[in-house]
Amino acid sequence: MESLHPRVRLLWILSTVIQASVLGVIAYLVDRFAVSLPQTVVVGGWVVLVVLGVVHAIAAHRIWRFDLQDDALFLLRGVVTRTDTSVPYVRVQHVDTTRGPVERAIGLASVVVYTAGTRGADITIPGLRPERATELREQLRDLANESEATDAV
Amino acid sequence: MNRLHPRSAVVRIARATLQGGFFGFFGGSLGSGMFALPWFAVPALAVLGAVVFSGYALARYLRFQYELDGDTLTVESGVFARQSRQIPLGRVQNLDVEQNILNRLLGLAIVRFETAGGSATEATLDAVDEAEVKRLRNYVRTHDRDEAAETAAATSDAVSETATAGRSAHADLPGVTGPTSTHTGGAQTANDLEEPVSASVTEERDQPDGSLLFAFDQRELLTYALVSVRPAAPVLTLASLPLGMDVVWAVLRFNATLAGASLSGPVVRWLASSPETTRLAVFAVLSVVQFFLLALVVSVALTVVEYYGFQLTQADGDLRYERGLLRRYSGNIPLEKVQTVTIRENVLMRQFGYATLAVETAGYSGGNQQSSQGVAVPLAPREEVYELARDIEPFGDLDFDRSPKRARRRYLARFSLAAAGLTAVAYAVDSMLLETGYWWLTALLFLPVVPAAHLRWRHRGFDLDESVLATRSGFWRRTTRIVPYYRLQTVFVTRSPFQRRRDLATVGADTASSSSLLGGVARVYDIDEGTAKELRDTLRERLTAHVAGLRTGDRASDAEA
Repeated sequence: MESLHPRVRLLWILSTVIQASVLGVIAYLVDRFAVSLPQTVVVGGWVVLVVLGVVHAIAAHRIWRFDLQDDALFLLRGVVTRTDTSVPYVRVQHVDTTRGPVERAIGLASVVVYTAGTRGADITIPGLRPERATELREQLRDLANESEATDAV
Repeated sequence: MNRLHPRSAVVRIARATLQGGFFGFFGGSLGSGMFALPWFAVPALAVLGAVVFSGYALARYLRFQYELDGDTLTVESGVFARQSRQIPLGRVQNLDVEQNILNRLLGLAIVRFETAGGSATEATLDAVDEAEVKRLRNYVRTHDRDEAAETAAATSDAVSETATAGRSAHADLPGVTGPTSTHTGGAQTANDLEEPVSASVTEERDQPDGSLLFAFDQRELLTYALVSVRPAAPVLTLASLPLGMDVVWAVLRFNATLAGASLSGPVVRWLASSPETTRLAVFAVLSVVQFFLLALVVSVALTVVEYYGFQLTQADGDLRYERGLLRRYSGNIPLEKVQTVTIRENVLMRQFGYATLAVETAGYSGGNQQSSQGVAVPLAPREEVYELARDIEPFGDLDFDRSPKRARRRYLARFSLAAAGLTAVAYAVDSMLLETGYWWLTALLFLPVVPAAHLRWRHRGFDLDESVLATRSGFWRRTTRIVPYYRLQTVFVTRSPFQRRRDLATVGADTASSSSLLGGVARVYDIDEGTAKELRDTLRERLTAHVAGLRTGDRASDAEA
């Protein structure tokens, strides 16, 4: 079982900060142009959201695991509701590596695995070093090819 | 390359002209109000709008071309942003045909091709004439059948070799019994299904192709409409009440008089100032009952309109449905593309031993209405439904394993919490706003908690059959979902904090179905954690084994060819 790069916590915390700040800006605009909101509530809300985000990021990193097993990609995640997902290689439609702006700034990358299913049709493994992401994508591609099915639907 | 039918162009251009005219007219009126345009601006803009819109419609018609050639459907479209799309026919999941009233008068129909990718319909031909519909349908079907025959032949060989591993998709289905019937070609179609599955075939219908599996007569249709209550009907009724406000007020006034109120003004004033609770209660009960009766009528009417003249036929490897009173829908569902089979029985249906059968493919099906997605048999006796389901996807007798008893305690706790929460809310609202002192009435909600928890537990379960996973859940509407192992996509196990406390877990088995409403996921709720992990591993193993089985079949077919 492989865990994510520790720096992924920073990534998650940063995205919570960004989201909370966007909400803060909205609250500011509402305060300015519509209903007046008490400032303590806005600031307090921002702080609570960020603290929750930090706790969540640390817990999520501790729980997140993934593994390339014989027949399937296996992922373990979820802070509140634990989920383990098995993605059989036969069912992999295609694999992407993506790097969002925040990820680029921190120097991480994600791998996204697509299946034809309805729930979890795209499964993301975040927090990988770029080299590892590329390697993982290629591994997954090879595993999917080896297990070639007639029609992955 | 073919164009759409000219009559459809006429309809579209006429519609565009009207739209453009109105657009110009309103734009002109608005403009002349604001900028003091000269008097002729309004008609001039109306004409301009009509010309531009109809010109665009004409250009779109002229640009839209399609062609069936070999294995592909090619569609060229777009005036400014041009698009050329090619769809391999082997990837077409289903082909749906829709006819609204206007199109029926004109003898036209809209044809939709669905594939597994993307969220929208991949190709829409709006509209072609009926002869062309037939040609398209036959072309796609023959293409499918040729392919199916190949795989079926190959897989049946493979299956006999590797007895346990692989089971052919539908080698045991009458329509695709395989090499002999198709390769000898010719007059094999109508009678190869020895016995029609449905005994309720009452009248002889015109059936140019295929054998009739199921059809509704008027009485069965009404029964179906009555027992299949649509949850959306009350909402729809409520939303459309304002349209007939006068009638609503008249009825309410009548109710008030019945309840014995001395009405000297509008109903609202009586309601607001009425001191007599019993009369108020009579009035309320009366009105609510009337409302639900109305909703029932609406529900029945909707169902009748939707399923009028329903029939399901089987031709070669395809299921073909036809339905609708005002809009006619028909479509082909290739059996080899069926992902999951779902059997639904609501409380009423279970009482009378009826059930509904739905099939799902990875494309959309059954018209564009979410409510009716993929319904293959709206209502039939349970045994017939199971028989047909086994025809589509062979499975043995299902013997469901229930969740452990502690799951029932979990439901008990959950429902009690909900009841307690509602009581608390009622208490708060009552003590702060209403002050009637009747808040404890909501405590009655605790009464059904025990039976509700028991029923929920009793109707949940799963079964690992030789070739399928079957899951079941739901009391009001019990859904039995049958998922062949070789259709599984991802398998996941989830555990919420409450489940973790009791060592329970939910196993989900995803398939490539398109309906987000019904969900492609078959879920096994609240089973023991150890069992859940075992189940997950079994599902993974069997998926690999069954897919491998199918693949050896394909190799054999390649070698043959």
